[in-house]
Parts: sequence; C-alpha cells; structure tokens
Amino acid sequence: MIAQQTRFRDLPPSLLAARLAKTAIEIEFGAAIVRVRSSLDIFVRDFQRIYGAFVVPERIPFADFHVEICAGRGLRTFLKPQSRFLIDGVQPFDPFPREQAFPHFEWGVNWCFAQRFNQHVLLHAGALALGDGAVIMAAPPGSGKSTLTAAMMLRGFRLLSDEFGVLCPRTGQLWPMLKPLALKNRSIDVIRDYAEEAILGPIYKATRKGDVAHLAPTDDSVDARRLPAHPRLVIFPSFREGAPLTTRRLPAEDAFARLAFNSFNYGVLGETSFNAVADVIDSCPAFALEYSRFDEAVESLRAMLAESTAAREAA
Amino acid sequence: MIGLGPADPCLQCLLGLLRDPRSAHSVSLADWDKTIRLARQARLLGVLAHRIQSQAECLEKVPDCVLGHLRSATAYSEHRVQMLRMELAALANALPVELPVAVLKGAAYIVQDFELARGRLPSDVDLLVSRGQLDQAEAALHDAGWVAEAGDAYVERYYREWSHELPPMRFPGHPVEVDLHHTITPVTSRLKPDTASLFANLQPVSGQRFLVLQPLDQILHAAVHLFQDSELFANLRDLVDIDGLIRAHLHSASDWQALAARARQHGFERPLWYALRYCRAWLGTAIPSDLPLAAPPAVAIQLMDWVLPRCTLPRVPDRPAEISRRIAGLFGVLRYQWLRMPPGLLLRHLTHKGLQSLRPSTAAQRNIR
Repeated sequence: MIAQQTRFRDLPPSLLAARLAKTAIEIEFGAAIVRVRSSLDIFVRDFQRIYGAFVVPERIPFADFHVEICAGRGLRTFLKPQSRFLIDGVQPFDPFPREQAFPHFEWGVNWCFAQRFNQHVLLHAGALALGDGAVIMAAPPGSGKSTLTAAMMLRGFRLLSDEFGVLCPRTGQLWPMLKPLALKNRSIDVIRDYAEEAILGPIYKATRKGDVAHLAPTDDSVDARRLPAHPRLVIFPSFREGAPLTTRRLPAEDAFARLAFNSFNYGVLGETSFNAVADVIDSCPAFALEYSRFDEAVESLRAMLAESTAAREAA
Repeated sequence: MIGLGPADPCLQCLLGLLRDPRSAHSVSLADWDKTIRLARQARLLGVLAHRIQSQAECLEKVPDCVLGHLRSATAYSEHRVQMLRMELAALANALPVELPVAVLKGAAYIVQDFELARGRLPSDVDLLVSRGQLDQAEAALHDAGWVAEAGDAYVERYYREWSHELPPMRFPGHPVEVDLHHTITPVTSRLKPDTASLFANLQPVSGQRFLVLQPLDQILHAAVHLFQDSELFANLRDLVDIDGLIRAHLHSASDWQALAARARQHGFERPLWYALRYCRAWLGTAIPSDLPLAAPPAVAIQLMDWVLPRCTLPRVPDRPAEISRRIAGLFGVLRYQWLRMPPGLLLRHLTHKGLQSLRPSTAAQRNIR
C-alpha cells in the first residue's frame, strides 16, 4: 500500500528524469491517463514541482493519450532552443520557446482532451466537491474563475478540474480532470499571498496568455482522483474590486445557455450534450455570484453547496 | 499471407478486429492501448467502434476506458456525417436542378446509406460533373458563395489543365471542403477510363438529389484512387472501403465476372488486381480465385508486397520509422508522381516545385503535391 502512494515529489530527480526519458510515465488525471515522455531537463524540473502530489503509477497498461515533449530540430537548437509537443508522433502545432516547455505540455494536453475526448461533455468550467456533491464554476475568461477555484481548493474543497468540467452523459456525474490550475498575471500574487502552503510553479513570462504560473492540485484532490461526484450547484462567479458579496438566482434557461454554449464539444455531441446539460440545470440551483473578498466567497459557497446537497439528498 | 513488414503485433490485432469484431473479447488492455492508436492513425477508429458496438455480446468484455474512446470516435464520426449532410443540402440548393451531379466516395456511401459508412470519418465532398458542364457547375457554386482556395497562376493551371478536379472550394465558415471533379483519374495519367460509359451509367438514389456511380464503378474508383492517385501512405482505410463495397455489391459469380469485365473496359485491371490482393490478405475479403484478370508481372507483385505493408499499414509511432519504411514511403511518392504525369511534364512540375520551395511558401502552394 505504501509503495503505491509514492508521489512524484518523493522520487530522486535523476530517477524521474531517467524514467521520463526512457520508459515514459503515466499521469492519472482522473477521467484520463496521459503517458508522457521527455528528455528536456527543464520540463522534468518543472514537472516534478507542479505534479509533485501525483502518485507514481505502478503498472498502467492503458493510456488515453501518448505524448512527448522534445527538443527542436536542426541548427535552431543552438540559436533559439525550442520545445515540441508530439501526440502519437505527430506535432499538431508550432513549437514553443524551450523555457516554456511545461506550459507547452499543459496546452498540448488540453488540446488532446478538447479534440479527442468526446465520450464526455467537456464544460468550459471548473468543478470542486465536498464529499460527493460538486459545484460547477463557469465563467468567461478574465472573470476570476480560476482564482476563486484556487482559493476554494486551498480552503479544503476537493478540486475536480479548473478548465474542463468533465460531465459523463450516461451517469450525470462529474469526473476529476486534475490539470494544475493555470493562474494568470495578478492572480499569481493573489494566490501566493492567500495561502502559504500553495505550491506554485515558476512564472512563465509573456506566454500567449500573459504571465502564467501553475498551482499544484492538493494531495487530497489527487488521492480522490478516481472518485466522480454529483453536480449539486452551478455558479457563475465574477470578481469586482470592492464589491460586497451578492448572489442572484438565475432562471434555468439563462443558466443553461451560459453553461451549454461554453462547452468545448457542445456542437459535436449535439443532442447528447443538450440532454446532459439540461439534466444538470434541472437538478442544480444556479447563481450569479459577485465578490471581492475570497474568504467570504469561499465560505458562502461552502454553505450553499452543503445546503443544496442536503436538499437534494432529502428529496 | 503477405508479410506485414516490421509491424507491431498489435497490427494483427487491429486487422483481426476489422475482420471479426467478436475477437474484441480476447484483447488485453495493453494490446488495446496500441490498437486504439493504430486505428486512430488509420482513421478507422470510428469504423472499428461501430463494428464492435454492434456486437452486444462482446461489448461487455471491452474495458470502460476503451469503450470511452470508441464512443468518442462514434460521436465525432456522427458529427462529421451531419456536417457533410448539411453541406450536401446546401450544394443541392446551389446547383441547378437540371444539372446531373454525382457524389463520389464518402459522400456517396452516406447518401446510399451503406453499412460501410457507419462510423466512417468523411473528409470532403467530392462532386462529379461532365467536363462539358464543369464551367456551369463551377459558376453556380461561385454565385452561391463557394470560394476557391487562393492559389497562384501555377496552382490554377495545375488543377485546370492537368488534374481531374478544380482547386478545392469552401463556403466561408463551412467545415467541409468541396472538390469538383470531371473524371476519376488525372487528365495526365496513363489510365484513361471510359468516361462516356462512366457518365452514361450514373445512377439515381431514391430520395436524393445527387447521382452515384454504378456499383462496379464505385469499386473500381476506390481501387484506382488508392493505387493510382495516392502515395500509398496510410491508406488502409481505402482497402476497408473496397472491402465494404464488395460486400455491399457483389453477391454472385456473375457479379464478379461483371466487375472484371468492367475493369477491362476502363483499363483498370491492375489497380483492381492489387486492391483485391490486399483486401483478401488483410481483411479476409472473399474473392473468387478464378477471376479473369491479368496479373501484374511477378517482380512488380514482389515489390508491392514489400512496399505496401510498410507504407499503407499504420504503425506504433513510439520510435522513429525504420529505414525500410522510409524507403517504401519514398517509393510511394515517386510512384505516385510517375503514374500521374508523363515524364516531360513531371520534370517540369518537379522543377517548378523545387524552385517554389526556395521562396517563402503559401498554404496553397504547399497543398499541391
């Protein structure tokens, strides 16, 4: 049992580097397993820090995606080092600068999910759980969704996902997809100040999305990676400087449109995703939440989720 | 059995599943890992998914994580088929009713509602009109808003004089491209089908605006497409199409005789001969042994038996391709160009491309091979 709980942070860096270079390792995100290979030192270093809580897999015969982060080719390697992302030996997009190998990997894995994981409805939403009741956090980019998701995780919610709300259309359950949270620009300092136990990766300057740093999922979230949760509450958060905490119940049709039309594969799944999202909106109250103070918002969400879960279980 | 070259054992697993999806019950999880990847690379994951999912008794033996990928591929294929149907509906509105227009390949399999279209991932819409009506069809599409991919004068000339299709067109914002053909082999290639008979035998499909090739021509077109108009690279799916067409259309000894006769009429005996050889070897297609088809010279067969497994069959991409695969791939490319154009024209084409490659390229230029 103890052997199964070795985490990536416990491995000697040289051993991790050797495994990543020679045999590849599997990452269990929850809904999906990604097998990754890399012989880029900078990637291995950042990977060990940000994926430190993830459990070193024993023997995993089946992976959903097979990717590699490798060096650029040709003369350019010496002039302007690059990292390339390969899935099944194919490079689907242009290389990144070498020092951004880790965000390149994160971006590439997101691409794999968004393109090839149509057995689930992929909501563009975060999800967190207490017990097996989950809150879906959906909002357009820039509204502070990832920052609030991070704050909730650091105050004891179990993270299911930040970017991908993985909704199974057959069971109606949300699966974990434990990608590290990509915090942007000001959010990085906000979260660093908010919780000293937060494990943040290096700040990657001037990526396509500005400055980015990754927040590692907590050990508890990682340990529950194989446990799905039931959606019980839908929140559309927005951050406004100095605003008092307010919540406003949304009509179902409004909440449906906001949740469904932001999903990555709503069009591909058609009727399947319509029904799955309609079921969520049918069974969960939906609120717009405006906030400026994290603790207040987090505690309010804790109470709302508990109330909605209790109401559902009583019904 | 024709050797599979330096292939991973899981290739046998994929071919076995295509022949008989009930073998799914005995596939180990580690073998599924590679088999799913091979199927995806060959653009056959949706087809495999459909075949396995229609066998209820073997479905319960398939692990959940594998089922997920099968479901995903099915959903994606259904979506693409829907997009293609919408494009066909839009095209039907744009083209004058009195103009006879046929659909080829994927779109034809869909409008005929063939079993082989289930789970298949269609790419473009291929339309066929007679050369005499090509301008009218093109003008109708332009008037309705379809736009040709921008190319330079050479690209235009390449398509209009030497190819069997116009530069690809797309209605802005639509996800499906449209290729307008006036015959089924490049104008410059040595194979000249009996075009008059090809058009005279176009058939209506009940309830559909578009015509299709007559059944034997559908099989021959698929064979010609693979063995005459491709670089032989990653084309297992074309063999799967041919296998499906044979199962759909040929039911008796006289059907087979008619196929051989039709192949002779078009001068397509050799592509058909090769198609049947590899369909039988890899997909278990039932093919009579006494077909009156002239076999290629023994040395050509030996060469193709060496090239095709290395070129056409998918491979597990964890390591760089073996040198023999690269040689086979190069052969496929050279053979394609050689069959497509007479030597003088080929030399000119390659010289032009060589010079072009020295300049900054545009997407349109990269697109012609």
